[in-house]
Amino acid sequence: MSIPLLRDAIVFASILTMLSTGLTLTYMTTKVPNFAHGNFATINAYFTLIIAKLLSINPYVGVVTGFFLGGAISLLLYLLVLKPLLDRGASYIILMIATIAYDMMLISTINIIADYLSRVHKITSRLFQLREWGHGIEILGQPSIFIVAPTLAAFLVISLYLFMNKTKFGIAMRAAIDNPSLAETIGINVNLTYAVSWFISGGLAGVGGALAPLQMTCNTDTGTRLLISIFAASIVGGFTNIYGAFLGGFLIGLAEVLGTGFLAINFGSWVVPYRPIIPLILMALTLLFAPQGLTGISWARIFRGRGT
Amino acid sequence: MELSAISIFLTNLITLIGLFIIISLSLNLEYGYAGIPNFGKLLAVAGGAYFVGAVSGRILALAYGQPAGLGYIERNLEVVGLLNSAISSSPLQSIGFLILSIVGAAFFGGLLGYVASYPAIRLRGDYLAITLLAMGEIFWVIGDNWQPLIGGSMGVRIPDPFRWIGSEYRPLAILLTVLITAVIIFLYLEYLGRSPLGRVLKAMRENELSASVYGKDVVKLRTKTLIVGFAIAAISGALNSLWTVSVSPKDFERVRHTFMPWVMVIIGGAGNNLGAVVGAIIFVTLRELIVFYKYFFEAIIPFDVVWLEYLFMGIALIIVLMYRPEGLIPEKPTRTLSEKKIREIAARTISEKPHANS
Repeated sequence: MSIPLLRDAIVFASILTMLSTGLTLTYMTTKVPNFAHGNFATINAYFTLIIAKLLSINPYVGVVTGFFLGGAISLLLYLLVLKPLLDRGASYIILMIATIAYDMMLISTINIIADYLSRVHKITSRLFQLREWGHGIEILGQPSIFIVAPTLAAFLVISLYLFMNKTKFGIAMRAAIDNPSLAETIGINVNLTYAVSWFISGGLAGVGGALAPLQMTCNTDTGTRLLISIFAASIVGGFTNIYGAFLGGFLIGLAEVLGTGFLAINFGSWVVPYRPIIPLILMALTLLFAPQGLTGISWARIFRGRGT
Repeated sequence: MELSAISIFLTNLITLIGLFIIISLSLNLEYGYAGIPNFGKLLAVAGGAYFVGAVSGRILALAYGQPAGLGYIERNLEVVGLLNSAISSSPLQSIGFLILSIVGAAFFGGLLGYVASYPAIRLRGDYLAITLLAMGEIFWVIGDNWQPLIGGSMGVRIPDPFRWIGSEYRPLAILLTVLITAVIIFLYLEYLGRSPLGRVLKAMRENELSASVYGKDVVKLRTKTLIVGFAIAAISGALNSLWTVSVSPKDFERVRHTFMPWVMVIIGGAGNNLGAVVGAIIFVTLRELIVFYKYFFEAIIPFDVVWLEYLFMGIALIIVLMYRPEGLIPEKPTRTLSEKKIREIAARTISEKPHANS
């Protein structure tokens, strides 16, 4: 296994981790798989492009704007679309379709931005990448993205852990996730906690998306393509546990890049385009043998062993 | 027949409407009647088209002694050219090829539906939706990359079964073929919806447990629904490729073939075949109008106006979900026998005075 491949795998896994953690967080709160989640990332990949090429600023700034922009887009989906539908007692299928409707609006926006960038500002906006920043700039002798992406992923998940376990609001949020009606009776503003979790979810996706062009070639359909991997990572992680999603994201990310790399070395490069099959297989195996995901089995056993 | 711009536009529009009516009708069977969230519509539609590209073209090549293996892909233009000149003089063989393609695609679609039923009888709700979505995507990836199948992302040309009609009347012939197929499928689904099977499907949609309490085999019903639904959607894919005389994975994508039929069914009104038809008419017309006036807009705005379609669809869908979740044409209650008839039967079968049903 070559070093660049391992690096690519770790960076991709870190980005996927941020996306799957966010997706699982919103799934836990609103019980709806958000089909627009992939494009929360894509739109921020384009903002990174704007920052780097149009404003000529270091694209790592995009991480900060990405968090807020992604969060805002996600919050809008919750407040303007899902919350009113939930209040009307919509079924989960209706909610899923609502996220698809939002996704279509995002796809439209992303393509309009891409067209605008290429036609008015003559910036390559389809199949673009900013590897000259991600890999051209080095930190400690390593490509900067290889340092930044895993550090940021670890930082975000640790902050999320601290937020959910050590702050009063985070604990209220967990209570609202576990049992919304009970949480409401003791005075927790369930709607606010859900809104915050949607914001965090979108923020994580935004950071992942902002980092993506520094590592890989992005296009208007990057998020749409990535969605399968994000869902696979969340399902492998159990879909009810954000740390499971973190684990699942890392596993799927590593498996995708290393698996494809390994197969390409042994069977030739024709296998590379079949990469999306790897997350599907892992997802299918999880659903067949451990429908509760990784966190559903092994972790529970460890906890029980220690608890008693 | 002189084809002006308007009549070309209208023929195209109606053909496309017909194709999407078929897809949304099949989704309406799966979701509207049986309640299966099939987010893998792409799988069925692309499946039908892939069948025409990969199998029925090759069968024709074999029949005329042309290379049917890898040569069919490698020397595609040459082989298809020869096949075209061979079948263009004989309407019988052309129609035979057309029927072979459609029926074969339906069978292949049914097979894919059977494959899709593997997760569909084990998973429920959102997990099923995600799995079917992923399956459609994988199927697409295979077609896009595995050259021997349909030539990879370059696609493959197929023989034209409408060539004998002549280029003037070809669009009209395709239009009629698509419309007749759509009408047959509509009538079949209407019949199916009113049959005991249709009512059982609705019962299963409302409550699986109570349906199975009454002895209905839910697993079998779900499998059956998916096989029929996939077969119908595959016919649309096959007709689409026979129309464009080529099969290319580029023509099939998630938004266009999975999400758009969902928008059509939901806005038209799920559980109601007429709703699926109305939804398809509205959105295909909207799209074609945008494309038709594209150059008019192009001068004013610095982006491809086609993208506005998605924006409109998204907004329209959200508004409908919020303010009219039952769709433009709501589902009608299942028709039962009239009260008069019930009394008649009751009088015949029960000797004492029947209880009044109100």
